[in-house]
Amino acid sequence: MRRSKRGNLLALGDKYRIFILFIVVFLFMSLFAPRFFNLFNFTTILNAVALNAVVAVGFTVLMICGHMDLSIGTTITFAGALTMGLQPYLGFAGAIVIALLGGALVGLFNGFLVAKGKINSFIVTLGTMTILQGSIYQFSGGNSISVNTDQVFVISDFLQKNFLPLLTPRTILVAALVIVMEFILRRTRVGRNFYIVGGNRNTAWLAGIATDRYLIAAFMLSGFTAAVGGIITALVSTAATLKLGENSLMYVLTATIIGGTAMSGGKGGVVRSVVAILSLEMLYTGIILFGLGNEVKIFFAGLILAYVVLYESYATYRHEKTLGQRPELMKELESGLVFKAKA
Amino acid sequence: MKRITLVIAALLFGAVLVFAQGLSAAQQANLKASLALEPTALALKSADNQFLLAPSTDNRKVPARPADPNKLAETDPLHWYDMEWAGWNVTPTNIPKSPADGAIGKKVIMIVHGDHPWTTACILGAKKVADAYKWQFKALSPNWDKNVQDQLIDQAINEKPDMILLIPLDAKAAVQQARKINQAGVPLHMFNTLPDAAALNFSLGWTGPDDFGQFRLLARAWADALRKANPVAKEIGVAYVQHAPGGSPYFARSFGPISELSTYAPEIKTLEKASPTPATFDANTTMQLVSDWLTKYGPKLKGICAADDSAQALGIFQALEKAGRTDVIVVAAGNSKQGMDLVKDGKLFGITYQTAEGDGGLAAKSAVDWFNGKTLPIRQNLAQHIITKADVAGFYPPQW
Repeated sequence: MRRSKRGNLLALGDKYRIFILFIVVFLFMSLFAPRFFNLFNFTTILNAVALNAVVAVGFTVLMICGHMDLSIGTTITFAGALTMGLQPYLGFAGAIVIALLGGALVGLFNGFLVAKGKINSFIVTLGTMTILQGSIYQFSGGNSISVNTDQVFVISDFLQKNFLPLLTPRTILVAALVIVMEFILRRTRVGRNFYIVGGNRNTAWLAGIATDRYLIAAFMLSGFTAAVGGIITALVSTAATLKLGENSLMYVLTATIIGGTAMSGGKGGVVRSVVAILSLEMLYTGIILFGLGNEVKIFFAGLILAYVVLYESYATYRHEKTLGQRPELMKELESGLVFKAKA
Repeated sequence: MKRITLVIAALLFGAVLVFAQGLSAAQQANLKASLALEPTALALKSADNQFLLAPSTDNRKVPARPADPNKLAETDPLHWYDMEWAGWNVTPTNIPKSPADGAIGKKVIMIVHGDHPWTTACILGAKKVADAYKWQFKALSPNWDKNVQDQLIDQAINEKPDMILLIPLDAKAAVQQARKINQAGVPLHMFNTLPDAAALNFSLGWTGPDDFGQFRLLARAWADALRKANPVAKEIGVAYVQHAPGGSPYFARSFGPISELSTYAPEIKTLEKASPTPATFDANTTMQLVSDWLTKYGPKLKGICAADDSAQALGIFQALEKAGRTDVIVVAAGNSKQGMDLVKDGKLFGITYQTAEGDGGLAAKSAVDWFNGKTLPIRQNLAQHIITKADVAGFYPPQW
């Protein structure tokens, strides 16, 4: 009985590990990091996570389906470049629509090759990443793109303005997207089907789920959210730099894994990924506030990722080792209950 | 009762006056002490035994701006007007007034562009000035990520420093960064990489290397050497290994010499120009890039100009050695140990004197001047010089 309670506690700890990490980091930094616990800093953290949080929405859904999108970084840059580059011809509204469509199209291309062409998503998205990189350089002429209008500063100021304590329009937008996506994943049949497709594609197909459509949709969502992230960041910065999304892939991938989304698919959640991003950002901010260097930040990011990957490997090993075992049945057999009942 | 209230009010008023005068006296004393430190600061030296604070004595006339520089050909020096001469025509807005209370004990945050041995030397140079004036000094690095630099700016504003010293990671994105710092009421001084001219509207000033000017100087020396080595050639093919795209060095260190040579030595033709990808400052990636050029152009390629004299230059010479070429004349930016050793060995023909410590030092000294009540020039370049085999010995030990 005692072992069972301990087991339950461990299982709970495992289930809610990202929330525990969040609370631990928050409390530690609030207590010890200088100037961490104040509204300005919290707003800064929330603004800082906006790009990666929005990108993590689509990336997590795709990972739940058992695939990965290496092209998210270049899609971010691509969408940012389209927004700024097309603004003089189409205005901001037109340019943003084209950039969103562009992101979704990149996802459609990836998804089609993976679902229909049966090519590994790693290879496909690596190829797309390279193609997009070249296209961006061609489009921008090797330079960052900005627009010569005061309107961009008005938009940038609006996106960064605190309308409520802690919340700016860009954080509200990201929060809304996260809540909607989490609701779809948890509460609708469409959402649950993503988990079934990721858990076992054959079973999903046998259950009558159009697996290819779900895969393509997940890739499109990944491209779309990357585009949203790129557009918002370019508008806030008032310029689309050529390295806008360069570091997002590693960041989002790390956070998604830390958040508990299985790389093999079928498990995870959008909120968990975003909480992981928040935890990492608080950790990084704290490191800066402690006056420690960038190398310390990289060291901690690596340390956390290494721990989570090792833990995931151990969990998978333990799961495979106990696959098919029925400890309760063994207990019943040992106690002789089964045969007594038959007799 | 009334009388008592009046007496208390008078006492309070007197106390405030005395306190205010006391503060003012303290500020005056601080300013006096700060000004007295001027000779100490000017005597500071960088690791290469050069004076740390060496502003340019160049007094070229600023040309008139063409109506639309972008309409001019990229080989026309005036096409690059807004980058090369950025800052001289700006109208500073909402610039805070100097407190004129001295530089001693100020809190200054320096935000650089990324981790690199050059950056370490640059921070060291700033720290020498910071230590002289007993600053609370902190340097933050975003590791070449513009988004992280934005966050660091927010963090810095949160700390309410007396000044932020910023190396903008991206010329165009620097406008909003500078605007944000300015709106937060924190004095800003930019340095090293040139931002778009509009960013200087919100900055006390800019200090740093005159990349275009340095590379025009280097281009002329390079052209003379190329002509000397190829006296009968009607066309001399050259290539440019570029800096990371986006920043001012990307343009200055390739289009600077290209536009200079279009008039000074028109027989020198550009065969290729590219930034090594995915790693701009990686010897192996540069070696592959240059090897491809050597295969493609063979003996037609007579010269290479690199944006970096360390990893890029090493990669170039690895490729040249593999191809068995000793006739290619190579020049580069910077004076790292690797670069200076290559010049000393007679491999690199020339490098620009890019004092890393001096760059950080001059930015910090500008802050000192502003705290001391001086008006800063909107733009102040570092001294220009081309290091060749003839004088390289004078620049040892290297700064990085």
